[in-house]
Amino acid sequence: MSEIRLKCPDTLNAESGPALLEEVKGGLPEEGQNVVLDFSRTRSMDSMGSAWLMRLAEAVRGRGGELRWEHASGDVVAFLDLVKPGLLTRPTPPERAPGFFEATGGSAINMVTELREFWNLVIDTIYWTVLAPFEGRGFRWGLFIDEMHEMGVRAVQIVCLMNFLLGLIVAMLLSKQAEAYGIQIFVADVVMIGFARELGAVMTATVVSARTGAAIAAEIATMQVQEEIDALRGMGLNVTQFLVSPKLLAMLVVLPCLVALGIVCGVLGGAVWGIFVLDFEPSVWFNETLQRCELRDIVEGMTKTIVFAVMIVLVGCHNGLRVTGGSRGVGLMTTRAVVMDIFFMIIIDIQFATLFYYVLE
Amino acid sequence: MSSNKPDTEHGRKPVQAKNGAPIIEVRDLVTRYGETTVLDGISCAVRPGEIFVIIGGSGSGKTTLLKHMCGLLQPAAGEIVYRGQDITRMDEDELAQMQRSIGIAFQSSGLFNSMTVGDNVALPLREYGEVDNSLIPDVVRMKLSLVGLADAENKLPSELSGGMRKRAGLARAIALDPPLVYFDEPSAGIDPIMASGLDDLILDLNRLLGTTFVIVTHELDSIRKVAHRILMLDRGKVIFLGTMEEADHTDVERVRQFFERRPDEFIAHRNIA
Repeated sequence: MSEIRLKCPDTLNAESGPALLEEVKGGLPEEGQNVVLDFSRTRSMDSMGSAWLMRLAEAVRGRGGELRWEHASGDVVAFLDLVKPGLLTRPTPPERAPGFFEATGGSAINMVTELREFWNLVIDTIYWTVLAPFEGRGFRWGLFIDEMHEMGVRAVQIVCLMNFLLGLIVAMLLSKQAEAYGIQIFVADVVMIGFARELGAVMTATVVSARTGAAIAAEIATMQVQEEIDALRGMGLNVTQFLVSPKLLAMLVVLPCLVALGIVCGVLGGAVWGIFVLDFEPSVWFNETLQRCELRDIVEGMTKTIVFAVMIVLVGCHNGLRVTGGSRGVGLMTTRAVVMDIFFMIIIDIQFATLFYYVLE
Repeated sequence: MSSNKPDTEHGRKPVQAKNGAPIIEVRDLVTRYGETTVLDGISCAVRPGEIFVIIGGSGSGKTTLLKHMCGLLQPAAGEIVYRGQDITRMDEDELAQMQRSIGIAFQSSGLFNSMTVGDNVALPLREYGEVDNSLIPDVVRMKLSLVGLADAENKLPSELSGGMRKRAGLARAIALDPPLVYFDEPSAGIDPIMASGLDDLILDLNRLLGTTFVIVTHELDSIRKVAHRILMLDRGKVIFLGTMEEADHTDVERVRQFFERRPDEFIAHRNIA
């Protein structure tokens, strides 16, 4: 194999590097030629010079040759020793993007794995929440109280405000339509029925999933990233018993309470519009509201609240436990938890609407 | 592909720091967190080309001092003079300019998890625009090969071990060949072979590029290997400032205790009990 010999400049740095590269490229007419750099007159080099040397090595390698050097002395030897691994190895190519079938298969496998993990979490949670306390395996009542305070008491203000404003908006929109037929008093009926059956539960669950569901996912994901979950397991403690069960039971208690508050606030929001804008007597408006307040509507709203509570906690915990990577993973899983909460909430709501209004009618 | 044998052998002995004006000087620094005084009247000067090691027990204020020297914390009193300018009085732009000229390798690496290791190292090169864009991939590869991570360019930090993350953090810190590099606990959490390699790298960079290092560490072997001068803190005060030889012959009991790895009395008593 033929080779060409080139002399390196006195100083190999950002200024002299490009010229040396051009010289080498110009002297490589044939494929497979080796290049020998003579460092005999080179007294110094810096890291930018090394970067140019690295590019030069890649150019020689790209033509099927090899780069060698000789007669280096003093600090130049030390510098070449330092950067030698980079000069002798090819750059790592970026990972190949998977093809269509590979990507589809990978997604399917991920989905099945995730479903299995979720199912295991559900089974574990049922055991540690419902059965284990009766088998004397304990329940973390202290954490349960703390979680009720965090999830419930601290959410009261935002839940009340959001439902009140929604009630006000619903009344504003409906009253405009009802005015044409002179049936504005029925706005009170619609607000009552709407909040009892649908809006109270959905609006409150949305606020809670954005507030508490995200917090659950972020908390558990951060614990996972910082090896706190491993520490729990390493101490022989069950993660579901320690973290998930108290949250689930707390949510099962506080979400129906928040929804009840939400229904009241939504109805009050509608009443503010009816009394102060539509000029109804408070007694007339509230009488109409109470006449439409049926136990069946409340039961329907509360039933789905129970399912929402289970869903928000399990989705938050599931996503938190699945986190990989660091801070970015925590952010991604938190976002995913909230998006999944809202998506499943709509799906569950459709199921209940079908059940209550078409199957059980 | 191969290299020729080097013409001369080169050792890895610390070189003498250049004399002259300090590259960074701390004057009567006081730091308080609430009622607690963390640093109490600290003064020291780091010479250009020096490897300056800050030691001390846990909670003695080492990392706090380092963060002050980087301009990441504002002191309650005192001055920190970098190349003749007091960084405690700098405005935001001046401070950012000063921070561009230094490298910081954090204890937990401080790598951005959303970027590959290569992109992490490339970040200062791209942001500061001091390097030709077309050369950035080569510089990144060169810096990564310097710290022994030539194969990790396309990996995410979460895919690296603790020691690899630490080395990647150093590669990012030296991306722009800063004259001054701060390194917090370089050897903590990595194996002795890796730690020794990292010490060699610090010595090489110091010798070949003239990089000044300010290092916070507990590791006695590393201190003996790399330190030109040592500053020891105890309860927020400087109790020793001198060379390793001076530290070996000092009468300061706490310094002797540190280097002889003797436990505090109450710990010794507890162990006997």
